[in-house]
Amino acid sequence: MDILIQNIITGIATGMVYALIALGFALIWKSSRVANLALGQLVLISSWFAYSMLVQFKFPFWLGMILTIAFAILLGWLIERLALRPLIGQPILSLIAITLGLAYFLEGLTAFIWPQGQGNLPKVFPQTSFQIGPAMIQQELLWAAVISLILFILLSVFFQYHRMGIAMRATADDQLAVQACAVPVNRVFSMSWIFACIVAAIGGVLISSIAAINYGLVETGFKSFSVVILGGMESFLGCIVAGPIIGLCETFGGSQFGSSVKELIPFIIIVIVIMIKPFGLFGEERIERI
Amino acid sequence: MSLPCGIRNFSYHTDIAIIRTKTQWVLFILFMLALSVLPFYLPRSWFDTVNSIGILLIAVVGLNILMGYCGQLSLGHAGFMAIGAFTSALLTGNLHVPFLLALIISGLSAGLIGLIFGIPSLRVKGFYLAIATIAAQFIIIWILQNWTDITHGSNGLDVIPASILSWQFDTEIKQFYLIFTITIISVLFATNLARSRIGRAFIAIRDNDLAAEVMGINVFRYKLLAFFLGCFLAGIAGSLYAQYRGHISYEDFTFQQSILYIGMLIIGGLGSSLGPILGTVIIETLQKSLTNTIAPWLEHTMTFMPTGFSSGLNLMLFGLAIILILIFEPRGLAHLWALFKSSYRMWPFSY
Repeated sequence: MDILIQNIITGIATGMVYALIALGFALIWKSSRVANLALGQLVLISSWFAYSMLVQFKFPFWLGMILTIAFAILLGWLIERLALRPLIGQPILSLIAITLGLAYFLEGLTAFIWPQGQGNLPKVFPQTSFQIGPAMIQQELLWAAVISLILFILLSVFFQYHRMGIAMRATADDQLAVQACAVPVNRVFSMSWIFACIVAAIGGVLISSIAAINYGLVETGFKSFSVVILGGMESFLGCIVAGPIIGLCETFGGSQFGSSVKELIPFIIIVIVIMIKPFGLFGEERIERI
Repeated sequence: MSLPCGIRNFSYHTDIAIIRTKTQWVLFILFMLALSVLPFYLPRSWFDTVNSIGILLIAVVGLNILMGYCGQLSLGHAGFMAIGAFTSALLTGNLHVPFLLALIISGLSAGLIGLIFGIPSLRVKGFYLAIATIAAQFIIIWILQNWTDITHGSNGLDVIPASILSWQFDTEIKQFYLIFTITIISVLFATNLARSRIGRAFIAIRDNDLAAEVMGINVFRYKLLAFFLGCFLAGIAGSLYAQYRGHISYEDFTFQQSILYIGMLIIGGLGSSLGPILGTVIIETLQKSLTNTIAPWLEHTMTFMPTGFSSGLNLMLFGLAIILILIFEPRGLAHLWALFKSSYRMWPFSY
C-alpha cells in the first residue's frame, strides 16, 4: 500500500516535469505550427548555462537564475530570428529538419563548451523527504510539480487574457487574417520561441537540480513528446493532464516489469496513441481540403 | 534545361535513356574506371572512409526514396539499419546462411519492420509521423539492448566477413569491390524507380497526397511501399555494415545516426538521384577528416579550451550545415550542381 502511494505521487511529480517541457513545445506549435524537435537540447543547454553560473562562477542562486532566464530569452530570440524566420512558408519537412539541425548544433555547442559531459547543480530544494501516510516522498519532486503547475496556470492566463497571448492564438488560427488586423506576426513567433526557451530553462534547472546534467536530458526531451502526442499538440490542458498519465505509466511500469522497461514506456504510448487516436486527448482534429 | 543544346529525341528508346550524349558516356566510363582502380592508389588510411561512404550511401538512397520522393519523414533509419545488421549477423553466424541470402533476408526483415511503423502514415503525416518513427528508433534499439540472449546486449556480436561461394572478402580492397557493387546497384535501382510509375506516384503523394488520392493513386499502398523500399535498403546497408565492421552492438545505431542520414540527404538535395551521393560523400569525408586530423590539431593548439572540446565540433558544424542549407539552398547541393551545369551549357549567352 505504501509503495502504491509512493509510486502514485512520484509518478505524478515526474509527469509534471515532463508536462513542463511539453508546454514549451505546445507554445511554439500553438502560435507558429513549427514542431520543435530540439526540445531536449534546449533543456540541456540551459541547464549547462545554469551550471556555469552557479557552480563555475559561484553566483548566488537568484542571480544565476535571472542570468539563466536572460540567456534563455536571448537564445529563443536568436533561434527564431536566425533559423526559423527565413523559413516561414516553407513545407513542413523543412521546418522539422531545421529543428533537427538546431538540435545537432546545440548538442555540439554544449559538448564544445562543457566537454565534461556530467555536472551537478547545487541542490535548490530541501533534501528531507517527508511522509504522507505510510509513504516516503522526496520533497524536491513535489516542489518541481508545484512549480510546473504554477507555470502552467500563468501561461494559460497569459494566453487567455493578455493581448500578446490572444494574438498568439489568433496567429495559430489564421496567419493571413491576423496579419490583415495589424498583428505583428514576426513578433508573435519570436515571443513564442522566447517563452518556450524560458520554460525549457526552468524545466532544465528543476530536473537537473534533482538528478544531474548529462545527455539523459535530451532523452527526457524525447520522452516529453509522448506527453505532447497523448495530450494533443495545441492544448496546454492536454500537456498538464497527459504529463502525470505518462509519469504514472512510467513508474508503475517500472515497478512492475523492472527499470529498463521504464525507458520504453513513453515510446510505446506514442505508438499506441498514434495508431488509435492520433490527435490526442485534447487536440483538434484537422480536416484537410485540397 | 536538362539536356545540352542540340540534342533531340527521335525515339522513345533515346528519350528514356539515362546517359544521352557521347560526352556523358565518356565521363561515365571514365568515372567507373576511376572508381574501379580507386583501391590501388588510395592511401590505406582512407579505405575505412571510402567503404563507409559506400555503406551509408545505400541507407541514404533508401531514405531518399522514403523522404525525398514520397515525402514521408523517417527519423528511425538507424534503427532499421540495426535490424538488418543484427539479422544478417545472426543468420551468418548462428545458422551459417550464405552471405547473399542473408543480405536479402536482412533487407526483407528491415523492410517488414518498416512496414509496421509505416502503418500510422495512413492517418497521420508530418510531425506525427516523425514522432512515430522516433518511437520506432527507440523501441528497436531498446529491444536490441535488452534481448540479451540473442543480441548479447552491449557486448555485441562478432560477425564473420562476407563470402560468396568460395570468395572470401577478408581484405579492405575486396570489401571495397563488394560494397561498391551493391551500392551501384542500389543507386541505379533508386534512379530508375524514380522514373517509373511507382516513382511518379511517390512524387504525386509527396506534393499533395489528397490530390494524389483523388487522381486514383492508392495512397496507402504506395506509402507502405515507400516505407518497405526505404527500410529494405537500410537493412541491406546494415547487413554490409555488420560484415564490414566485424563487430556490432546496439550502440552503433544511435538516434544521432538517424539524424545524420537525414542531414546528409538534406545537404545533398532531397528528391534527386545525385543528392544522396553528393551529401554522403561530402559529409562523410568532412567528418572523417574533422575527427581524424583537424580535431586533434585544434586540441593541440588551443590549449586554453577545456580538454575534449573538439568532440562537439563535429556535431556543431554538421548542425550548422543543415541550417544554412535549409535557409539558403533548400534544394541542396544537387540543385547547385544543376544550376552550374545549365549555366555552363548556356555560356556565354545566358538566356
